[in-house]
Formats: sequence, C-alpha cells, structure tokens
Amino acid sequence: MNGVGLHKRLEANTGLLIFGILFVSAIGGLVQVLPSIFQDSLAAPSAGVKPHSPAELVGRDIYIREGCSTCHSQQVRPLLAEVKRYGPFSRAGESAYDRPFLWGSKRTGPDLHRVGGRYSDEWQRLHLLDPRTVVPNSIMPAYPWLAERPADAGPDIQLRMRALRSLGHPYSDADIEAAPAAIEGLTEMDALVAYLQGLGTAMPAGGGR
Amino acid sequence: MRGFAALADAQPDPVQVFFKQVFWLALAPPVFVFIGSLNFGWRLGAAEPLYLSGKALTLIGIGYFFALLLGLVCTAVLSKWMAATYGARDGLGVHLALVALVAAPLATGSVFHLFPHVFVNLLALIPALLWSLYLLYKGLPIALRIGPERGMLMASALIGCLLVGAVSLLGLTVALWTGGIGPTIGV
Amino acid sequence: MAKEVYHDRVVTALVLCSIVWSVVGMLAGLHVAAELVWPQLDFGREWLSYGRLRTLHTNAVIFGFGVSALMGTAFYSVQRTCHVPLFAPGLAWFCCVGWQLGILAGGLSLLAGWNAGKEYAELEWPFDIAIAVVWVCFAIVFFGTIARRRMPAIYVSNWFYGGLIIVIAMLHIVNSLAVPVTLSKSYSLFAGAQDAIVQWWYGHNAVGFLLTGGFLGMLYYFLPKHADRPIWSYRLSIVAFWAFTYAYIWAGPHHLHYNAIPEWVQSLGMVMSLVLLAPSWATMINGVMTVAGAWEKLKTDPALKFIVLSLAFYGLATFEGPMMSIKSVNVVSHFTDWTIGHVHSGALGWNAMITFGTFYFLVPRLMGAPLHSVRLANIHFWLALAGTMLYVLAMWGAGVSQGLLWLSLDEIGELSFSFKDIMASMAPYYALRLAAGLIFFAGALLLAYNLFMTVKGRRTVAAAPPAAAEA
Repeated sequence: MNGVGLHKRLEANTGLLIFGILFVSAIGGLVQVLPSIFQDSLAAPSAGVKPHSPAELVGRDIYIREGCSTCHSQQVRPLLAEVKRYGPFSRAGESAYDRPFLWGSKRTGPDLHRVGGRYSDEWQRLHLLDPRTVVPNSIMPAYPWLAERPADAGPDIQLRMRALRSLGHPYSDADIEAAPAAIEGLTEMDALVAYLQGLGTAMPAGGGR
Repeated sequence: MRGFAALADAQPDPVQVFFKQVFWLALAPPVFVFIGSLNFGWRLGAAEPLYLSGKALTLIGIGYFFALLLGLVCTAVLSKWMAATYGARDGLGVHLALVALVAAPLATGSVFHLFPHVFVNLLALIPALLWSLYLLYKGLPIALRIGPERGMLMASALIGCLLVGAVSLLGLTVALWTGGIGPTIGV
Repeated sequence: MAKEVYHDRVVTALVLCSIVWSVVGMLAGLHVAAELVWPQLDFGREWLSYGRLRTLHTNAVIFGFGVSALMGTAFYSVQRTCHVPLFAPGLAWFCCVGWQLGILAGGLSLLAGWNAGKEYAELEWPFDIAIAVVWVCFAIVFFGTIARRRMPAIYVSNWFYGGLIIVIAMLHIVNSLAVPVTLSKSYSLFAGAQDAIVQWWYGHNAVGFLLTGGFLGMLYYFLPKHADRPIWSYRLSIVAFWAFTYAYIWAGPHHLHYNAIPEWVQSLGMVMSLVLLAPSWATMINGVMTVAGAWEKLKTDPALKFIVLSLAFYGLATFEGPMMSIKSVNVVSHFTDWTIGHVHSGALGWNAMITFGTFYFLVPRLMGAPLHSVRLANIHFWLALAGTMLYVLAMWGAGVSQGLLWLSLDEIGELSFSFKDIMASMAPYYALRLAAGLIFFAGALLLAYNLFMTVKGRRTVAAAPPAAAEA
C-alpha cells in the first residue's frame, strides 16, 4: 500500500487519525526528552551545591514572582567572551535544586548566574530600590515594595520545604523546624539579596574554558 | 509611477539594463560603506566605534557588492519566473528594470553608509524601504501589465522571497564573524 | 424535526473575544515596550512592573487572541468540512466561556505575581488544570463533530486543528507537572537541566503546533474557500502534514545551544530544525499555488491581501527559525533581541495577519452583511505591513548589535564593551520598536472598530448543512 493509500484510511477514520497524530508526534519526545529525564548525571548536584537555605528559597520565589528571568539569564555559555564577562561557565549540576530552572532566554539585563558576591549587599539593595541610583542608564524596573514586606508574607516556608523534600531535596526535619526562625524579621528585599548573593558561588573559582 | 508606466510600453535589453542601472545600484552601497567604515568605523550603538583593517573592509565590500548584485539579479529572475504563474509579461529586461526601479530608493538611502552608524542607517533606510515596498505594490502591476489582484499576489510573493534573502544575508554575516572573518569575537 | 443548522453563534462569540484579547494583549505589549524606553512607566506599582506585565502580554496574545481565534475558526470550519452541526453545542459554549474566564482570571493572577516561572507556561497549577479541562472539552466537540461527519474523508484543515488539540494537550500536561504548595505556588516536577529540556520541548512545540500548525489549519480552510478552488496539491499537503508533525517535536533543544545539556541533544535539535524547513515551506508553496492562477474569480479584498501577505511572513519566520538554530548563528543571536524580532515576524506577520484576514472574511459571512468599511481595512493592511517591517528591522538591528558587542574582543583579547554601555545603546532601537508597535496597534484598533460596527445590531445568520438542505 502506498503512502496516499495509507493516508486514505487515516483520513476516513477519526480514531486512527487521532492515534496517528499522537504516535507520530510522540516519537521525538520519547527518543530525545525521555532519556534525558532518566539520565541521572543531569540531575546530580555538583560538588558543593546545596539546597537553597530558607532565605534563599524565599528570595528565589520572589525572583520568579517578579519575572526577573524575562530579562536575566542564569546560564554562562562556554564561550571565551562570556567566561571573561561573567565567570566560569554554568554546569548542569549547579541547577540540580532549581525548580523550575531559571536559565532564561533573553538578556535585556546581564546574566546573573555568577552574580553572587560580585557586589555588596548594600549595592544590591540600592539597586533594587532604584537601579538608576547606581547604574545611571539602567532600564531595570525599581522594586520598592520588596523593602516593605516581610519575607514570611508568602506561602508558608515549611510547606514549601516539605514540597521540595517530597521531590528529593535533602532538607532534614531540623532544617524545616528552624526555617521560620531563619526568615523571621527579614524583608523580601533581604531574602532576594540573599538569593542573589548565593547565586553560582558553589562553583570553585577558576574553571574557564 | 511614471517610470513604471514607461516600462509598461518598453521591452528593454537585459544586458543594457544590467550595466546601466543594476550594476551601479549594487555598487553604490559597498563603496559608501567602505569609505564610511575606513573614516568613521562601525558604530553599532556602543560608544566606541569599531575599526576594521583595510583588508577586511575590502573583503566585506566585495562580498556586499556581489551579494547585492546577486540579490538584484536573483529578484529579477525570480520575478520573471513568477511572471508565468501570475500571467505577467515575460522578458528578463523588463523584470531587471522593474527591480531597479523598486530598489532605487534603497540604493539612494544607502548614501548614509558613509557614516556607518547602525541607527542612523536604520532611520534613513526605513523610509526608503517603505517607499520601495509601496513602489513594488503599486508599480508592479503597471509595469508588468497585469490586474491589481494578480499584482498584489505577486508583490507579496516577492516580499516573502526578499525577506528570506535579507535574513539569509544576516545569518551569513553572523556565521562569518563566528568563523573568524570580520571583527574579533570571543567564541 | 427542527431544521438542522450550524452552530455559528459560538463562533461569533469566540471571534469577538479574540479581537478583545488582541487589543488587551497588544496594549500590554506596548506598555512593556515603552517601559524599556522609560522604565519609570510602572509608577512604582507591582502589577505594572515589567516582569509581570510582559508575562500578561505573551499570555494574552497567544492564549487569549490566538487560541480564541483558533477555537472559533475550528468550530466554524469543522462544521462545514463535515457537513454537520457541532457535536455537543452546549459543550462548545462551555469551551468558549470557560476559556475566556480562565485566561481572564489567569491574566489577573499573573499581575498578582502568581507565576510558575516557565516561559509560555507561567500560569499556576489551578489554571493549568482549568485549561486542561477546557481543552479536553474542545477535543470532544471537535472530534465528536468529525466522528459524525457526512463527508467520507476528513479534510486537511482538520488534521492541523486535530494536531493542535492533541499535541498541545500532551505538551501542556507533561510540562505543567508540579507539586502544589498553596493555591498560588507550586514546584516543577523536573529540576535544572531536565526541566530545561522538558520546558523547551513544550515551549518550542507550543510555537509549532499552536502558532504554526493551528494557524495552518486556518490557512488550509480559509484560503481555498476564499480563492474558491481546491488546495493545489493534496499529496503535498499529506506529506507536509506528517513530516511537520514528526519533525517539529525534535527541534526544542535549539533554545538551549551551549547551555548545560548534553551535546547530542543540542545537535539533534539543530539538525531537526533544519529538516523542518522542508515541510514548512511545502505548505507555503501549496498555499501560494492555490491562489496563483485563481484571479479570474479573485477580488482584491482586504481579507485576501492579509492572508497572502501572512504567507510571505510565514516563509520568513520558518526560514529564519532553522537558520537561527545553526550553532554558529545562534551563538550570536541567542539571548538577544533578534529572538524577539523572530518571534514577532511570526506573531505579527503570520499569526496576526492571517487572523485579521480570516476575520475580515468570516465576520461579514457570519452576519450576512458586508464589511462596515473596506477602506479602513485597506488602511489597516498598510499599517500592519509597515508596523511588522519596522518591528522586525528594529529587532534585527538591536539583536545583531547586542550579539556582536557582547562577544567582541579588542586587540589584547579583553572585552571591548561593558554590558551597561551596550544596554544603554539599545534605547533608539527600543524607541523604534515602540513606534512599530504603535503603528501595528493602530491597525488592530481599526480592525476592532470595523468588525464591531459590522456586527453591531445584527445577529449571526443561520446556515444549514447541505445534506440537511437536501433532505
């Protein structure tokens, strides 16, 4: 039976057509995506990479809430100029505790994967309050509300950590027990700065290409 | 529109059109960009202009010239090829002359290549481009003596091809940079 | 037995909703474009902040404008290609209303900061479930109608609409898998590099089967209908459809070139992206050849102008995409505004234009009345063309500059430019983009006015299937 003949049967039978589309479109995913999901080396954390601390976790969720990743990538590519500009290129194992991943697709602002420790906490605060006080031509939005809101205003931190633990993040009972105290008194600004200052710091210095 | 109306009654010789019009239209931008880059450097937006060596510039200029020449001739050949489908006039000369008329605003606008600042060039070339587009839609049916509906279809098909051509050039340029020709980039 | 008629009122409702979303979505887009020129435009308010409003922009245009248009035209064309009224019309109304409420509430939740953090899948889990439920109902109505058709064969537009429904369901469900924490917060089932691969399998194919395949369904029905002649090559449409459905799925990893995912996944993604050009262009050629030669019957009305021009931009976008997936091009274009330009050559030039053309064709037929103003529609055509061209050029300029300047090294091998300087130098391009957006938006407003005036005071006419008319 030639191709057109086969197709005559598909297009005369609703069920066959549905199955045909599902089958043909699933092949790519099965061959290309599925092996990656079961490739343990892609999911294993690099040496020194630990689950986010409570403050970092809150900060990271704020980063997601404000859509920071629409303008900032977190993925230094293994290119000479990029390593010079940002630091050692990103490894898969550094994102092992990132749910979702925040590699981004656009750099309206600079890459942030190696921003941890690059500026002082104070600089980060000023910059978030009004970016143009420290970077005159910046087009980044200001985030004044972060300084006014307590870090524990969002979803309960213990619930978040338990959800992540159910996905395999190694938080101990003691970690979860201590979490509310760890973020008590912090503002959302403090949490976000804690997250930014921790970014990419587990990777030992050097690396390069 | 007078140029197009005149073309409607003419059957120009392709060789003559090529050397009298198309050749010069393709030559002008590379010459302008060569002179401009040598004197002012490429200004891609950031403060510091980018100066290239004379050798690289010559290479780029020659590449640009042949790309434009090829582009213009290909557009004419494409247009001639489409003519059969759209029931328009045959004759490479007519189509070459048509392409030359449509491209004239752009070639004129390329005088801004003398100062190769990307934004200045965009500002100058955009009205030129819109004018060229307008000429294409309005002039094509006149010059090729077809109805406006066929002209509209054919003009849109040509625009599609030109867009693809433009983006290919962009891609090729970038691939050349990555391959080490042109400015030094750290990849 | 009561006379059997097509259920077209739901089509009218979906078309009108789609128009409203196009205005809302483009307005949000304009505002974020303006914020990139004048960042103070968020007035210190969270919900006007770039990161939130930009997410609303993409969701409103893709899922509000795009999907409403696809759902409406699918309901319209599936009835006419099957010669039967919709299966379960009540469920079709549920799809219409449910979808609008879902996107409205979802859009507001994005402004409130509910964000799952995955591109084009930002809505949080309650909305993911709502979307999935509506989508299943969409599938039931659509395939139910096909199952009881009076025509022997399933027409080609329905394969593409069917592909849209099935593949988007698969992608959406897998990519949205997450562990909920509270109503507004969940964590992705996948982490890091694996999450990236799953996300771009979703993200790229949402573009593929929704913005490309879905709208090809629109093309395959409305273009031959308008030209009043069959599709040029039936055989080509078969080959293109199956090749498209098979090849598209593989191309996602080109969004992750040089990222921390396995090399073979990247290379495979690149090769399959290049392969994809063939079926994409086969469909374009099929469309172009369908209208070519049909001019005896053809009138140059605005609808046809839009549809034909949309094919040109379709040709551009489907060529540019594979080209940008080539690693030596991607290394420069990735992370830049070139990507934004590429997306908009597709979104404005292809999706919006074919939708506009289809609406100009469809609404007068639904109302049984002529278009309110052909002149306004012709002006809209020029605004749409100029706006798209300017947008694409501005982003080509910005993107290539960014890509080159970021990577550029001086003679001693140090970086030539600081990031700040490069960013600051983008202002003119961003201003140009804003102007382009304004031009395009002005056209969309003309369409909205024109079509609302066409609809105003009228009711959807009752059309009967041919089989019922004969009986």
